[in-house]
Parts: sequence; C-alpha cells; structure tokens
Amino acid sequence: MGNALFIVWRESTEAMLVVGILYAWLAKHPDVRRGMRFLWGGVAVGVGLALALAAVMLGLSRILSDQALEYFQLAMMLVASGLIVQMVFWMRRHGRTLKRELENDMQKSAAAANWWGLLVVVALAVGRESAETVVFLYGLGAQNEGVGRFLMVLVLGLGAAFATFWLLQKGGKVLSWRTFFRVSEILLLLLAGGLLVSAIDKMIALDVVPALVDPAWDTSALLDDSGRIGGLVASLTGYRARPALLPLIVLAVYWAAMVAFLRRGSR
Amino acid sequence: MRTLLIAALFALGPAVAGADEMPVYKLVAKDGVFDPVTLEVAAGKKFKIEISNEGKGPMEFESKDLKQEKVLAPGAKSSVVVNGLKPGTYTFFDEYKPDALKGKIVAK
Repeated sequence: MGNALFIVWRESTEAMLVVGILYAWLAKHPDVRRGMRFLWGGVAVGVGLALALAAVMLGLSRILSDQALEYFQLAMMLVASGLIVQMVFWMRRHGRTLKRELENDMQKSAAAANWWGLLVVVALAVGRESAETVVFLYGLGAQNEGVGRFLMVLVLGLGAAFATFWLLQKGGKVLSWRTFFRVSEILLLLLAGGLLVSAIDKMIALDVVPALVDPAWDTSALLDDSGRIGGLVASLTGYRARPALLPLIVLAVYWAAMVAFLRRGSR
Repeated sequence: MRTLLIAALFALGPAVAGADEMPVYKLVAKDGVFDPVTLEVAAGKKFKIEISNEGKGPMEFESKDLKQEKVLAPGAKSSVVVNGLKPGTYTFFDEYKPDALKGKIVAK
C-alpha cells in the first residue's frame, strides 16, 4: 500500500506541475481567459481516459481464466517497470525545458485561437500521468486491496500531491523541484527493480524460465522477507531472503544499466 | 484395426491422465488462520495446493519462498501449482494479515 501511495503522489504532483504551468500562463494573459475552460476540460478528458483504461483492465481480469490472468498480470508487471524507467529518463531529459515547451505550445494555441489544441495537449499530459498510475497500481496488485483501501490511497496520494505542489510553488525554500525529482526518481528506480524481481519470480513459478540456482543464499536470519519490515523492503527494492539466481542476475544487470544511464545523463 | 486402435486408446488413456495428475493438498484460510498450518510434501515432485478462503475478508496467499501470490475474495477457491521443491521448509502467509501465524510447507 505504501508503494501505491507513493505512485499516486508522484504522478499527481507531475500532472499538477503541467497543469500549474499552463494555469499560470493563462492567468497572466487575461485576454485569453476563455482558455481556462479548455484547460479544465483537458484535465477531465485526461482523467476520463485513464478511468476507461482502468475499466478495461479490470474487465479483462474478470473474464480471463485463472491461468491467462497470471500471464496478464505478469505482462502488466513488466510493462509497469519499463514505463517507470522510461518516465524517469523522460523527465530527466525534458524536466528543464518542460515549462518553455508547454508555454510555446500554449502561445501557438492562443495565437491561432486553437483552444481545442490546448485541450488535447492537457488531456494527453494528464492522461499520460493518470494512465501510468493505473498501470503501475495494477502491476503492484493494488486492485486486490478492496475499494475502501484503494479510495483511501487515492485521496491520501492526491492530498499529499497538493501539499507538495503548494510547497514547491512557494519558491523552493523548503523543497525544490530539483530535490523532488532527485529523491523520487531514485525511489521510482528502486520500485521498478522490485517489480522486475517479482515478474521474474512469477515467470519461474509459471515455469517459463529456469531459476538456475534456487535459493542462491539464505539471509532470512538477517532480514525475513515475510515480516512487516522485510516485506516492505522486498516490495520496494526486490529484496528476497532466499533469492533464486536468475532474478539476482536480472537485478544486477538492471542496476548496472540504470547507473550507466544516470552517469551519462548527468554529464 | 479399429478395435486395435480403440484398445490402444484405452490402454494409453489412464497413462496420459496419470502423467497429468499430481498430488493435491487442500488448504483452508480463515481470517489469517491456516488449516492445516503445516503441509508435508514429497521433495522433487510437482504438486498443487487448493486454497479456499472461508474468512470474511479477502486474503492473499503469498510465499516469497515458493514465488507464489494469489488473491482470493471471501468464499473463493483457487489453486497454485508448485514445481518440485528441494528438501527444506518453506513459509507462506496471508499478506493482508502480516502479524498472523505463518504456514509452513515441509518438503521431504
């Protein structure tokens, strides 16, 4: 549940960043106030698209057979971890220029009085963040938590995102966008690695890939992955007290690749 | 010829079915309590655990040792297939009740 909360928080903050930039631009240009309606329209369409995606995924889960559902969940775990990594590196590349890019788009829309274009830009940005949230939450298995807990995660995550966004907008004395992205991207990469290990474990259980050596070692005396703390560490980082060799190799390759990408990006 | 074929089919039938059959262990989960709490299985042999959730809330059968996760709504039944295990003890538990007594599978 902590992971789900984190995902909702980070994705909502990102969506608020996009909407916030556009909102601030519109507020500074009183002659184009008409655009506001299209801004909020875009937000609604984006969230609507994500809800439609969630409905399709939940519907699929209901009609698939037990066996097929296992493979569907496996696929979603892989898609989710891939998307998280893609998102981290996309933000690293575009984070700095995001504001300028968005304002340019906006200027063009305003000049051409093309408000539907604005609506599409917003709908795509918000839709992307919320659709990612849907896939991540599904990959984490949040759909099984029950409606009450799920709504609680959603409300808490959105509330925390509003608070964070407000702090960030205050000028970055307490918290800067830089720190926000730095810290949350490390957590995201950890989470993607954890999802990857779960996916490989599932593949081993489904007999799709060999475990190679199982278990490779046993650290359950040190930190038991079935306990409260160990369970949390396991779902966030991919820690296993008795890991098979294959997921260990995959995780090592994953982190080697991530460190290489991060190094290249920061140069 | 035809009778021969039918005879062959009859002879083969049970053998084919036999290869597909694996030991099945029944496991009842009720609000964080497993019955039985320890399952003894033969090492190296594929087996199936049939889980039924008789508790009031949903449960998640989880075992990192067995690499299994299965969510069951109240009243639901489902099963997991476990490939041959090395001799040893493997833990399973209800993810939604992390403080409850954990179950064990002992492979001999």
